[in-house]
Amino acid sequence: MIRKSSALGFLAVAVVLVAFPFLGTSAYQVSLASTVLVAAILASSVNFLAGDGGMGSLGHGAIAAAASYGAGWASMQSQSMTMQIVIAMGTGILASLAYGLLSMRTNGIYFLMVTLAVGMVIYGLAYRLSSVTRGENGITGIKRPELLAEPWAFYLFVVAAFLVVTVGLLVVSRSPFGASLRGIRDSESRMRSLGYYVPAFKLGAFMISGTVASFAGLLSVWHTHFVSPSSAEVHRSVLLFVMVILGGLGTTMGPLVGAAIVVLVENVVSNSFERWPTLLGVIFILAILFARSGLVGSAAKLLERWRKRSDAGRTPADSASTDATVSGSIPSA
Amino acid sequence: MKSTTMSARRRWGALAGLGAAAALLLSACAPASSSDPTTPAETSTPSETQSAGGDETEAPAAEGGTLKVGYISPITGNFAIAGQEMVDGWNLYWDVNGNEVNGVTVETVVEDDAGNPEMSLTKARKLVESDKVDVVVGPLLANTALAVAAYTSSVGVPNLHPVAASDDLTQREANDLTLRTGSMSGSQMNYPGGQWAAEQGHKTAVTLCPDYAFGWESCAGFKQGFEASGGEVTSQIWYPNGTSDFSTYVSQIQAAGADIAFVVTAGGAPGPDFLRSFMGLGLKDSQDLIMNCCSMDQATLRALGTDILGFKSISYWAEGRQSPVVEEFNAAYGERFEGKIPSANVAGGYMTASLVARVLEEKGLVTGADLVSAIGDISFEDSVLGPLKWDEFNNTVGSVYIREVQEVDGKLYNVPIKEFPAVDQWLGLDPEESMARESYSQSFQG
Repeated sequence: MIRKSSALGFLAVAVVLVAFPFLGTSAYQVSLASTVLVAAILASSVNFLAGDGGMGSLGHGAIAAAASYGAGWASMQSQSMTMQIVIAMGTGILASLAYGLLSMRTNGIYFLMVTLAVGMVIYGLAYRLSSVTRGENGITGIKRPELLAEPWAFYLFVVAAFLVVTVGLLVVSRSPFGASLRGIRDSESRMRSLGYYVPAFKLGAFMISGTVASFAGLLSVWHTHFVSPSSAEVHRSVLLFVMVILGGLGTTMGPLVGAAIVVLVENVVSNSFERWPTLLGVIFILAILFARSGLVGSAAKLLERWRKRSDAGRTPADSASTDATVSGSIPSA
Repeated sequence: MKSTTMSARRRWGALAGLGAAAALLLSACAPASSSDPTTPAETSTPSETQSAGGDETEAPAAEGGTLKVGYISPITGNFAIAGQEMVDGWNLYWDVNGNEVNGVTVETVVEDDAGNPEMSLTKARKLVESDKVDVVVGPLLANTALAVAAYTSSVGVPNLHPVAASDDLTQREANDLTLRTGSMSGSQMNYPGGQWAAEQGHKTAVTLCPDYAFGWESCAGFKQGFEASGGEVTSQIWYPNGTSDFSTYVSQIQAAGADIAFVVTAGGAPGPDFLRSFMGLGLKDSQDLIMNCCSMDQATLRALGTDILGFKSISYWAEGRQSPVVEEFNAAYGERFEGKIPSANVAGGYMTASLVARVLEEKGLVTGADLVSAIGDISFEDSVLGPLKWDEFNNTVGSVYIREVQEVDGKLYNVPIKEFPAVDQWLGLDPEESMARESYSQSFQG
């Protein structure tokens, strides 16, 4: 059950996000916040698949890129906005289907390799199929809907999208489907012997995650008005994983925290600190060494322990309550 | 139970460690902003004014005033060397001439984009919206340049390109706010190479270019020049970006049996890598070869030394040209960079700075489209790139040199042996006719 405190925490985050553009922030800061949120939505899709399904994907950057290219191509053909959205989401979902069908019978490192390979195919197409993608130069001048033309309007839309996606993924994760996924994550053979058709669940999870990733790809192209092969690079997918692990695998707010750290180091710290890639690496190493369940996960655990200590004697808190914030904790390897 | 207390202690240690690391790194960056670590010696002048100008920015542009320049370049990542050179060239000019021109102070904010278009865009946004710069200079790579130019032109800020070679920057995507300052488009700079090869009596040619936009444009330029002068390109070979072992490609060149080979790289390691394979297979004396600008720049000359004496290449920049402007520039650069000789990237940055300075000198503080049109009106009898002017699409029209590696005073230079004057970007076509064609690719080479 969702505990009151984590529901309140979620509400607080939502209020801060919505209020952000009205706190005297500059247009640039609002635009940067949009970048963080779009990255957070994309990271959420990876987080869902890896946290609940135990499937680590190195191809989600490319799924998002496929959707971005869909929007870019439609915009080059001067399609209507509705058609652009349909084509973008269609391309992304189609790409996810290809991923899902190829990877649904694999797990662990093999799953990683299949997603990596399909991601490379999409990158290769973006790079080489220049009649459609304009090759390395990329597609510029992709517009977003009139309604969202103002930076703050777009920002609020992205906030809404982030909240909807987060709650949506939480609902899926709490559903029987989510429980089955976690069952598959923890022991595939047991689920199989219980009569579950495992590949179908994996494909289903991938399609949900891929749809979210496609949506993030569409938002990203609306934000930057631009797409190029670099958005499909493995590097981007790896950074997504860094975001998820930094924030905390399987946590609800982990992707937001992780995305904020990565995007801010990449775009703000790099303004004044030349060795920003090193800094990102150091942060990542420290998180892996000392905060195994990510910043959000570790903070939640600390909070839990602190509460237990102060409550000691009255009600012996049950250890399962951590799951309120850490939905589906990682198997302690 | 013991293990949980252990892990609790470790986690507290973790938080403390993270906090300490963050504090350390943050304090490390704080002074870094005022004494830019990227260019130890050179930024001293601009960055001093940067901190001094910081107080003034509150009061909007006082008369005389400040020209605030945002400079985007890949200072980290795969293109860091080229990116740093581009910054060095810009800083060198202000270091030599002072950053105050006609009462206007030029203040530069350098931003790193790591060669990534998304990051380039975010940095351009930051420079325009947060730093309120008057002009954005850079970035370096074609895709980043196109992304930034699309954004800056949409918000009315001029964008100058010291190095980016993408054809479309001054063709299909040309606008009043975007200008190429210190280089040429990919097809433009290689077109005369084809003419020259044909004039030398070569009947057939084989080309080897990287398989992306810059390579397609470069090869298209050479092929059209060669075929317009009566030659025939019999075989075109493409290699993926990131190739380091060129032996199979050299074999293919050998197998093609053409009179001359034209080879393109985008600079960096591939140039020397290719040449090592080429010489290793013993083709130095049997196969005529001409390379593009960046394959045979100073980095290659330094890497391979006297082995490549006599090798030919084609570029808009020739460091061994007999001209007071070039000699002065080489000397100034050598003095500050351990006797090194500048590359085309340095020349591009330097050229851009000298153009901005000249406009300030003649017209005082001008911004927006006026700055771009003012630069477009300039023409040089002789600049570091030779005679230079601009066409109505804001692209350079200037000399292209066939260069030969020669030893002068114990140093290796690319010395021009033939100059093609007033080369424009249209390869002998009408602008409309040229732009109506599809973009260059493996399958369309003009």
